[in-house]
Amino acid sequence: MPSQKTRSVDYHEALRDIAKSLVRLKRPERLLKMITRYIDRELGLTHAAILVYEPERSRYTIFDSKGIRKIPRSLIKFDQDYPLIRWFSSKDKETESLRQYLSKQKIREILSNGVAAKLKPETKAELSRVQRSLNDLRADIAIPGFFKDSLIGILLLGEKLSRRLFTRTEIHFFETLVHDAAIAVKTSEYHQHLIERNLELEVRKKQLEERLHEIERLRKKEQSTYYEIMKSLAQEVHAKDPYTFGHIHQVERLGVMTAEELGLDLSGKRKDVLSAGLLLHDVGKVGIPDNVLKKPGGLDREEWKIMRQHVEKGVKILEPLSDFKEVAEIVWCHHENYDGSGYPRGLKGEAIPIEARIVSVVDAFHAIVSTRCYREGRPVEVAFQELRRCAGTQFDPKVVEAFIRAMKKRPKRG
Amino acid sequence: MTRLLVVDDEAEICNFLKSFFEDRDFEVQTALSGEKAMELVSTFRPQVILLDIKMGNVDGLNVLQQVKSKNPKIKVIMVTALETTDKIEQAMRLGADNYITKPLSLEYLEKDVQEKIANLAARS
Repeated sequence: MPSQKTRSVDYHEALRDIAKSLVRLKRPERLLKMITRYIDRELGLTHAAILVYEPERSRYTIFDSKGIRKIPRSLIKFDQDYPLIRWFSSKDKETESLRQYLSKQKIREILSNGVAAKLKPETKAELSRVQRSLNDLRADIAIPGFFKDSLIGILLLGEKLSRRLFTRTEIHFFETLVHDAAIAVKTSEYHQHLIERNLELEVRKKQLEERLHEIERLRKKEQSTYYEIMKSLAQEVHAKDPYTFGHIHQVERLGVMTAEELGLDLSGKRKDVLSAGLLLHDVGKVGIPDNVLKKPGGLDREEWKIMRQHVEKGVKILEPLSDFKEVAEIVWCHHENYDGSGYPRGLKGEAIPIEARIVSVVDAFHAIVSTRCYREGRPVEVAFQELRRCAGTQFDPKVVEAFIRAMKKRPKRG
Repeated sequence: MTRLLVVDDEAEICNFLKSFFEDRDFEVQTALSGEKAMELVSTFRPQVILLDIKMGNVDGLNVLQQVKSKNPKIKVIMVTALETTDKIEQAMRLGADNYITKPLSLEYLEKDVQEKIANLAARS
């Protein structure tokens, strides 16, 4: 018989143990299961169950039920109108003292003796409905758990196997337990809510990042499209100009190397702008008649005038492309000289964009070392001497030195 | 006293519903299988049956059919879980008088059974 089950339980110790676990447990389901399991194991009751509120469905269900008179878990549900729920959710002052907990015995007493006379008839009727609910749920005692005035669960206890009544100490123990559990459940729900919210934000952040990535990808694609257009345009020019044909990419590479040697900031689109300037500086030559462009030997005064127009023609070609504004500026300035003796505007020193100063040096170097129909290409050392001779007049001395340094660092091709 | 038969393959469910209705002055018998249910239909002669739509491998619809062919006046209320809602339409076509979904609302269940009994009384 249940004699060993009715051994006296040290409630203070039990509360301490459970309180410790409450703090540790992050998941309320485990906590509530622990409570019913504990009661079932230690106290020897016919039934112990917990009803909990499911906010997402606005209903109470049996979360766990243990003991010889247990109720299958998913069998029944209770809405706000179920007598027991209604009783504990009520805000009626008259019954306030009967909402800490209810026992069948207490209800019996109230309904059968003089205390009942003081209650309103509706209240008495309601109490008998509650009594019936307790009966249906195989509970002798019901202890509600509140959080900030809202009923979040009820602990139901059947009778003791020993048939003894619950003592004050025991009831107080259960009240404390339910109170702490309610807070733990609410806290963990809140915690869970925070975790979910966090996850949600994580997902949104990812989506945003993907979107940004996509935009960046499209931007890059667009840029490379411009770059392709520009390259084919440059090929066009150099196809017309047999002397430089095939060397266009070398010009670009040398220019970028010089810029790096100068320590220029080539981040973002700045490198593209410089490359474009190096590749396209002579794009205006497509508008120069072949009899001038391809004339072997020297040009006369008139012919030079026509030849020089390639600068402004180049600017005109690039003008409609809003993304090539800075490139057009380089093209416009690539025949300006450091001392102001260049054309078309006679700009001087730092007024000439650094990119244009680089183009000017690289272009000159290339002209010196390339084989032309009227002369053989000259050695690199000769070209260096020539560049240094004109440093400070035609060229920016800083650029000349950077160019020579970059050339010397360059791995020799086999 | 109204005779109510509860058919479910879970003994705990049978027991719970039995004590619930006995407290409301019903005479209640329970059956854990289709055969036992049909036997009780003959011997106990229930006026109302609470019939689980899915009991292990026995189809509640089968039992429903047998009950209705034996005595169409017996009121049969199907008890279904959410995952068996597809069978509700079939059950209604086979002559079920109503259905109720688990988890059950006890008040609704009681009201529904009382209503069926009132229907019976009105007809006789």
